Amino acid sequence: MTTTEKPATSSALETVTQEEPGSQTMTLSVGPQHSGSGHMRLIVELDGDIIINAQPDPGYVHRGIEKIIEVRNIIRSIPVIERPSIIDASNLNHAWVRAIEELQGVETPARGQYLRCLLNEMNRIMSHLYWLSIYGVFLGHTTMFMWPLGDRELFIDLAESLTGARITYSYLVPGGVRRDLPPGFTEEAIKRTEYFEKRLDEYENIFFENPLFTSRAKGVGVLSKEKAIELGCTGPTLRGSGVDVDLRKDDPYAAYGELDFKVHTRPDGDSYSRAMVHMDEMRESSQLIRQILKKLPSGPIRRKAPIVVPRGEAYGRVESARGECSFYMVGEGGDKPYRARFITGSYRNLAAIPAVLKGVRLADMPTSWWSIDYWPVEADR
Amino acid sequence: MSAQKPAQPNEEIETLADALSIWVGKLSDLVHKVVDTEPIRNVINWARMYSLWPVNITTACCSAEFGAASGARHDLERFGVLPIGSLRQSDLIVIEGTITKKMAKRLRMIYDQMAVPRYVIAMGDCAISGGLFHDSYSIVNGAHEFLPVDVYVPGCPPRPEALEHGIIMLQEKIRNSKVYPQG
Amino acid sequence: MSLPQQREENLIGILKENFPNDIKGARTIRRSRADVIVAPEKIVDIATFIRDKLGFDHPIGVSAVDYNRESRFEIIYHLSSIKNREQRDIVLNLKESIPRNTAKATSLVNVWPGVENFERESYEMFGIQFDGHPRLEKLFLNDNWDGPPPMRKEIRFPTD
Repeated sequence: MTTTEKPATSSALETVTQEEPGSQTMTLSVGPQHSGSGHMRLIVELDGDIIINAQPDPGYVHRGIEKIIEVRNIIRSIPVIERPSIIDASNLNHAWVRAIEELQGVETPARGQYLRCLLNEMNRIMSHLYWLSIYGVFLGHTTMFMWPLGDRELFIDLAESLTGARITYSYLVPGGVRRDLPPGFTEEAIKRTEYFEKRLDEYENIFFENPLFTSRAKGVGVLSKEKAIELGCTGPTLRGSGVDVDLRKDDPYAAYGELDFKVHTRPDGDSYSRAMVHMDEMRESSQLIRQILKKLPSGPIRRKAPIVVPRGEAYGRVESARGECSFYMVGEGGDKPYRARFITGSYRNLAAIPAVLKGVRLADMPTSWWSIDYWPVEADR
Repeated sequence: MSAQKPAQPNEEIETLADALSIWVGKLSDLVHKVVDTEPIRNVINWARMYSLWPVNITTACCSAEFGAASGARHDLERFGVLPIGSLRQSDLIVIEGTITKKMAKRLRMIYDQMAVPRYVIAMGDCAISGGLFHDSYSIVNGAHEFLPVDVYVPGCPPRPEALEHGIIMLQEKIRNSKVYPQG
Repeated sequence: MSLPQQREENLIGILKENFPNDIKGARTIRRSRADVIVAPEKIVDIATFIRDKLGFDHPIGVSAVDYNRESRFEIIYHLSSIKNREQRDIVLNLKESIPRNTAKATSLVNVWPGVENFERESYEMFGIQFDGHPRLEKLFLNDNWDGPPPMRKEIRFPTD
């Protein structure tokens, strides 16, 4: 009983090296089936129970998206490029349309820009809540699994009333967005974000100021500032090591130049810092949603844009939930890009995994690994 | 005397052990027949269908909706579905999303390690036919290429309510099936 | 609407001063985006200069493009700067072209450690050999695809 084509002869199972008898270290293969999120494998080398070396083995969800988007036209590619980080689909969609709009020279009207920011911030909260709930699975904390998923449904309902879908919206197109706000949206969103901020206070008390969590996460899995910068890390992984880089502030796009928000960092670089950066960002996104709805200008939401990729090169960058997501697009006319290079936040943070896990006990591995928020589907594309 | 290899009834009975093993073979057939009658079969099927424990493995992006379905609002545990523990203790594998060739090899290994009875749900368009990525170079177009699938749940991704409907269909299938020929 | 592009022009000016023969082309695409095309033999020196003197210490990624009609591969290193706050929005694209039939380039892992995974991916997707890379083997395509490098233009899809 085999797959349709012959499986490859060079199996990754054989890359696990054999030690000589009597050697000090043991090599362990963790995954792809393990408690927690699957589809990633780590090959760890242990001395006792301290990890000396951890090599990630990605590729379990590699679907060849960069090749697919060269053969589909730019509108039909939107669902394809949303799928890598399905819980954060709007931000990836935004990077795609930014690159195309730069090549076409099309400007989205102001109301469209604000609506894009609205969906982006809702997605940021949803993605961080999903991260927190899977953190609960890794830590063995069932309440941390259930509560964030329940509160995430608050925002999924809002997104569904705005776009029509629960998690994969395909809402942003070159030139604007597809639908306007339904009636009653603003009051409902304000009620829900205010309730959510009270819930965040409860989360801090029960999950994070709890000695059960701090003793497991403080000082564990440290990533120094210099290492984070030279490895190219991005997003909460970088901000948890004290570097205040956020694309929404450094290179403002959409309506972020006119909005008022802070960039949150923590200086220590351990798992606790990265987790707290996620919490702070959720709070900030929640107040940003209210701000956006208050400042929303009137006018059209979309300017008609042709389905064509003009000749030229463009680099579209966006701050997604896990870091910077960018498209380097080369166009040659026609309705498909000649080359569309897709670099996601998790792919850049893949380089941080060996650095974070060095010197960590095997029992602390889930805490450190998941605090980077490495989402294998996004890295493999 | 071994219950696994009963001597065939038409072979020469050479030793006492052979005679006993024929007797035990006929006894185990009798047990199978008794268990497969209505009252005992219903009890066993009732136990199986209301305690389907899936393996902890996420295949691709449909895992976001599987996670949401296990969460607080659409609670899968009220159907008895609880992802817990090792795969030797599981009897359900949910193929959530696109199957790459690398993952297909491991999924087959996991399926082979599960104890009988075991069931397969193919969740999402990618697990049914390749879905959105059907022409890519690195994927398998559908879970049925290498696993016997019991229930297909279409959608991209399917809503949690659709997944619950799929689980109920699987429960109905178990309710109406025989106890023994499963493998 | 063209916002001032002074910083980008300054960067290109400094590079041209220090490496007069090796910069094959440079331009400012728009504000915050600058391209520098260099000769592949001198890329390590130029990269070290860009990291130390110009302050571009944060690698974003590496892309490879297959220009099969011009018979070359183009490797682009996308760089950004964290040290200099005023430069934080700039993306500097460091480009080099190598001939398609002998696809060999020098690895920049010693300049920016973060490009290691990206160069591995370019190796498996396009077949480009990077000299000096510590671990040049397949990253995503293990067990997934055993044929020729799939992102080359001659590999066609069924729906193409």
